[in-house]
Amino acid sequence: MFEATNELGNLVLSTGGTLTNPSAAAALAVGLAALGAGYAERGIGSAAVGAMAEDDDLFVNGLILTVLPETIVILALVVVFIVG
Amino acid sequence: MSAAGSSNPEYVVARVRARRGSLYGDEEYRKLTRMGPAEIARFMEESSYGEEINALGSRHGGVDLIEYALNRNLAEQFDDILDWSEGTLYDLIARYLRKFDAWNVKTVIRGVYTDADQSAVEADLIRAGEFDDRRIRRLLEADSIDGVIEVLEDTIYGEPLREAYAEFEETGVLVPLENAVDRAFYERLLSGLGGDEPTRQYEAFLRAEVDFRNATNALRLARSGADIDPAAYFIEGGDLFTRSSLARLAQNLDELVEYIGDSQYGEELGPALRELEAADSLIAFEHAIDGALLAYGDRLGTIHPVSVTPVISYILAKERETENIRAIARGKEAGLSPDEIESELVIT
Repeated sequence: MFEATNELGNLVLSTGGTLTNPSAAAALAVGLAALGAGYAERGIGSAAVGAMAEDDDLFVNGLILTVLPETIVILALVVVFIVG
Repeated sequence: MSAAGSSNPEYVVARVRARRGSLYGDEEYRKLTRMGPAEIARFMEESSYGEEINALGSRHGGVDLIEYALNRNLAEQFDDILDWSEGTLYDLIARYLRKFDAWNVKTVIRGVYTDADQSAVEADLIRAGEFDDRRIRRLLEADSIDGVIEVLEDTIYGEPLREAYAEFEETGVLVPLENAVDRAFYERLLSGLGGDEPTRQYEAFLRAEVDFRNATNALRLARSGADIDPAAYFIEGGDLFTRSSLARLAQNLDELVEYIGDSQYGEELGPALRELEAADSLIAFEHAIDGALLAYGDRLGTIHPVSVTPVISYILAKERETENIRAIARGKEAGLSPDEIESELVIT
């Protein structure tokens, strides 16, 4: 594990710092935002499914609330256009 | 993070909150107190008890039908909650629901003691606890209290019951046995609870319940003036009493009331305590204790919305509802007036 990290570090350094490349950083930002959105949706989604199981009418509300954190990924995409 | 074996409070809490919304409120209770038993059964059929009323309607009638439907619905709801929950959440909820095991053990012992019919005892059991059907069947088949204790030998109730049995044989009253069951349950309830904030709050809530139980026991003993050692009925785990302070306070009703009034529960229980002094009625006090516990559970459920506390608050509210409906039905059967019945209800 640690050797692999070292090798990756060496590789990064020898190729002139890929991670400091603006495009790579923007991609990383989108990825992290998506990860955060996914984590938020996990809790909301399971609560929404629970509520829907009790009352079918809650489907629309549940769906909207579940995808709300998705907006943060869209905001992160803005970064791609600014940087790239 | 969602990994195998972790708990899923979001899902369980969402379902429980939805069910909580369909519990009866003020308005429904007011209607119910003005109905006869048959009308109550019909009213229940149209609400969340429909399935149970329909299933039992052909075999029972009147107040019995209501009673059995309530018990069955309670067991079903709590089994559902245990089905949904996983991991630590399951453990925390199961701890609390074991009180139905305690209730079942007590019911069986009472049934044996009064020579009640096996099917009558069976109808009063609430199968929401940890005992499986096989053990319950063996419990029902036991024909002596000694036999009941034998069936429970490998559970947490075996040893305490065995100890209390000698006292039961001496005195011939069930109190020592019932207290042994209660104590075994409460001691298990509080052992080995883990560390995050909601769990600590949950523990505080359970402690409050132990305190309230000790307080009711002490008040009952102080009131009855019976020559029983109060320390023998002390339940470990509460904050309010120690074994010796309970023994001392139970000797003197006034001192005990004052002590509870000065404690951290004084604010919630104050009005009920004053009523206890004035009207000399324990029932009002016991209702106030139930009400305070419900309110406490609700408050915890709001402070920590995604934890075990809203589930516990629902369990309490559901139990309250069945007790209220039962009180209404039984009150109607005994011919009480709506006002008298309303004073028996605990509505928050």
